[in-house]
Amino acid sequence: MPKIKVNGQEIEVPEKSTVIQAFKQAGVDICHYCWHPGLSIAGVCRLCMVQVEGMPKLQIACNTEVKEGMSVNNTSDVVKETVKWGLDFHLINHPLDCPICDQAGECGLQDQYMQFGSYDPEMAEPKVKKSKAVDLGPTVMLDKERCILCSRCVRFTDEVSKTNELGIFNRGDRSEIGTVQGKPLDNNYSLNTVDICPVGALTSKDFRFRQRVWYLKEADSICPGCSTGCSVKVHYNEEGVWRVKPRVNPEVNGHWMCDVGRNTYKYVNLKSRLLSGKVGKRDLWQEVSVEDAVRSAGLKLRETSPDAIAVVYTGQYTNEEYASAFKFFKEELKVKNVFHWLNNPEKVNEFDGLLFRGDRNPNTKGLENAFASFGAKGSWDNLQAGINGRKFKTVIVFGPEDQSVFPDLDEKIKMFSQAENLIWLTACANKSLDSVGGETWQIPVKTYIEKAGSFTNFQGKVQDFKAGTTIVPQALSVSEAVELMAGREINWNLRPRGVGGPKTNYAVSDRGEL
Amino acid sequence: MQVKLLSEHYDKPEFQTLGGYERHGGYVVLAKALKMDPNAIIEEVKASGLRGRGGAGFPTGTKWSFLPKNGEPRYLLCNADEGEPGTFKDRVMMEKAPHQLIEGMIMSSFAIGCKKSYIYIRGEYTDSLRIVGKAIQEAYKAGYLGKNILGSGFDHDMDVYSGAGAYICGEETGMISSLEGLKGQPKLKPPFPAVQGYLRKPTIVNNVETLAAVKYIIRDGAASYRKHGTEKSAGTKLFSVSGNVQRPGTYEVPLGLPLKVLINDICGGLKPGRKLKAVIPGGSSAPILTADEANKVTMDYEALAQMGSMLGSGAVIVIDDSNCMVDMLSTIMHFYHHESCGQCTPCREGTGWLNKITHRIAHGHGESKDIELIKKVSEQMMGKTICALSDAAAMPAISFVTKFRDEFETYIKKGQLGAGGAAHA
Repeated sequence: MPKIKVNGQEIEVPEKSTVIQAFKQAGVDICHYCWHPGLSIAGVCRLCMVQVEGMPKLQIACNTEVKEGMSVNNTSDVVKETVKWGLDFHLINHPLDCPICDQAGECGLQDQYMQFGSYDPEMAEPKVKKSKAVDLGPTVMLDKERCILCSRCVRFTDEVSKTNELGIFNRGDRSEIGTVQGKPLDNNYSLNTVDICPVGALTSKDFRFRQRVWYLKEADSICPGCSTGCSVKVHYNEEGVWRVKPRVNPEVNGHWMCDVGRNTYKYVNLKSRLLSGKVGKRDLWQEVSVEDAVRSAGLKLRETSPDAIAVVYTGQYTNEEYASAFKFFKEELKVKNVFHWLNNPEKVNEFDGLLFRGDRNPNTKGLENAFASFGAKGSWDNLQAGINGRKFKTVIVFGPEDQSVFPDLDEKIKMFSQAENLIWLTACANKSLDSVGGETWQIPVKTYIEKAGSFTNFQGKVQDFKAGTTIVPQALSVSEAVELMAGREINWNLRPRGVGGPKTNYAVSDRGEL
Repeated sequence: MQVKLLSEHYDKPEFQTLGGYERHGGYVVLAKALKMDPNAIIEEVKASGLRGRGGAGFPTGTKWSFLPKNGEPRYLLCNADEGEPGTFKDRVMMEKAPHQLIEGMIMSSFAIGCKKSYIYIRGEYTDSLRIVGKAIQEAYKAGYLGKNILGSGFDHDMDVYSGAGAYICGEETGMISSLEGLKGQPKLKPPFPAVQGYLRKPTIVNNVETLAAVKYIIRDGAASYRKHGTEKSAGTKLFSVSGNVQRPGTYEVPLGLPLKVLINDICGGLKPGRKLKAVIPGGSSAPILTADEANKVTMDYEALAQMGSMLGSGAVIVIDDSNCMVDMLSTIMHFYHHESCGQCTPCREGTGWLNKITHRIAHGHGESKDIELIKKVSEQMMGKTICALSDAAAMPAISFVTKFRDEFETYIKKGQLGAGGAAHA
């Protein structure tokens, strides 16, 4: 491994690294726009200029390979002056409309101007006019004047999504990003172009004009959209969750995530989230506190003979939740009849070749592991037969958090509700559940953003995540629910224990229907 | 003064056809070359001191020896995209003597072990395209191209490719992109074309004049070729002389000839009553020379470099005292702004900026600080980009406002008229 000096600091870097990678490794700031670790090298922004000892001209760090004994710096006056001018060149035709730009607060131009620029501009000529608010497709808007032509988005559609919708048209300072032959930018990875756009040229139709980014907090999480389990950041404030962005994870998702995964924040905020317990049946619903609902459900379970109980799991809960549920049902209640509700069985093995998988559950693998370690198995046919044959009196379902990915939801609810009693744990309310005939308990549970735990992805990789924010404070985790069902106590902290939704702070947003 | 080595038969219309070309010794040298050891040809070209005639002046033999020594397929591309304002010698060569170029290319290809070559011809040169295309067909019919050329066992195919009107496609990697069917944009180096060029294969790009000259080096030997020119700038060069001279045109002279001889003796001097004001010695991107400098300089790579300019493509633009420098610079800036491919920021934005400043001055709205600004912007455009177009725009800008500062200042002050210049419309 070659040893090189970066601004005097000696570091050892992997063979064939580029100088910019060495700067990143050394933790030394370097100005750049076009270079992105997940894309090929374009070398066009000309900002990552460094002085290499022994070379007369400045070099771009992104396309210069390290050599043993090399000494590079970006602190000399020549480099600083060049970078300043480089920024000036980027900005002379930029509209400088930060006050109305969605990128403000997380903009490469703003940040790097403050860090490396801070010059007095001398440009007094009229700026080049280009079109603004160009509709690129269902997800992305383009402002051609803000664009600095770094070509990251073009390289992304070329190299990563391989959909090739974008190109740079025309030349010189009339160059502009556009879609090829009117074909819209429409693929399941399109919003990555917004993430990698260093300026406010590409903005997400879903997020633009909604929030100022400096009002948002972020929490690391794992996307629940499919069994890939991409590492994500969830951006939220007291009004709810506003967007999901990818976090770098070389072992799973690299730098990217799919648009489907980005939409997972929506059901978290939905007005249709279940806000309190509901007990009853068709036309006879009673809204009760979560505690009352779950305790009375527990009582019903403990009354029922273990052989007359069927437990149905979906792959949407955490490993920790499965562990406590399995422990309760298997060891305390001695229930033998457990079933795995797999949505879309025929699509489970589909894969788009990049990230998105047909198994739309984040933790199918974790559920399978739990089945194996508790020696449980249950055939779906037995469940159906058991319900039809009145063998199962009480069915408890750990229902889907994201109901939209269960196309057979209504049909299955009809089937479950043929049992005498149905206990349904869910994040969101459900219309077909409201018209069932049997005695039913609806118990609100937390979504992935609201709880800590781990998912096991398709590779068998266990990925921990922390609780981000709370949207529905009364909602329980499965572990808490089974504690209460067992008749024990949990720590309620400051959670409201009455009936009804949150009054302040945790306003459940009515944005974005799925 | 003139040495007609390449251009010996340019005055004979029949030289354009295969028959005429053969009557004047055509394809005889090819037969000789094909019997030589390819490496010996490369060594001969190295020994001749031949330097690229397209503008950069890089030693041709050295360039060839950068190719990997394995049998990997490789390409020879002839750069006939002649776009540098003021240059028209390649066009003359292609139209007067297409077979001379083809013969030079076949033997060069043989030397570097290349089986396929292309001639990338400027899109506006419709006559050149037609004439060279026809000549290639003639050469195929006569067995100079195709399989087993002249019984040597060497196979070679050649084709023409038409540019679409972009100056940047004259830059070698821009040309490669264009030939690949991509947008004409220079490629990031490294890798250099000799390692990874056209279709990611090793590629050599040479100018029309360079490749044609190879024939004469092989015919007469390196030593004989070196008799022309200077120690470091060997051989002859075709200059395209334009502007305010009595007899503009393409002239072949030995390198090292004093510029004033070229202007006054060969091109018949200026029009009566006119005074020399400046000369652009190597195409519009070469820094301009004042009349004093022009009277001193000799036309070779070193002398011009010493004078702070360059030989470039050999386009000599003669400017007499009837011209306004402000007007001229703003025209040149318009050209580079129009031709910048737009990928590197300093060039994309800098050419536009310079164009706007110079146009503003030309339209009578200049300010005294503009001169310094032009210099600052230009300096920051130099050596900062993938290719040299940025430098090509910056160099004339700096040299114009430095060497003719008085004229720019007067123009800015009066809001029109250059010092001693013609009335500005």
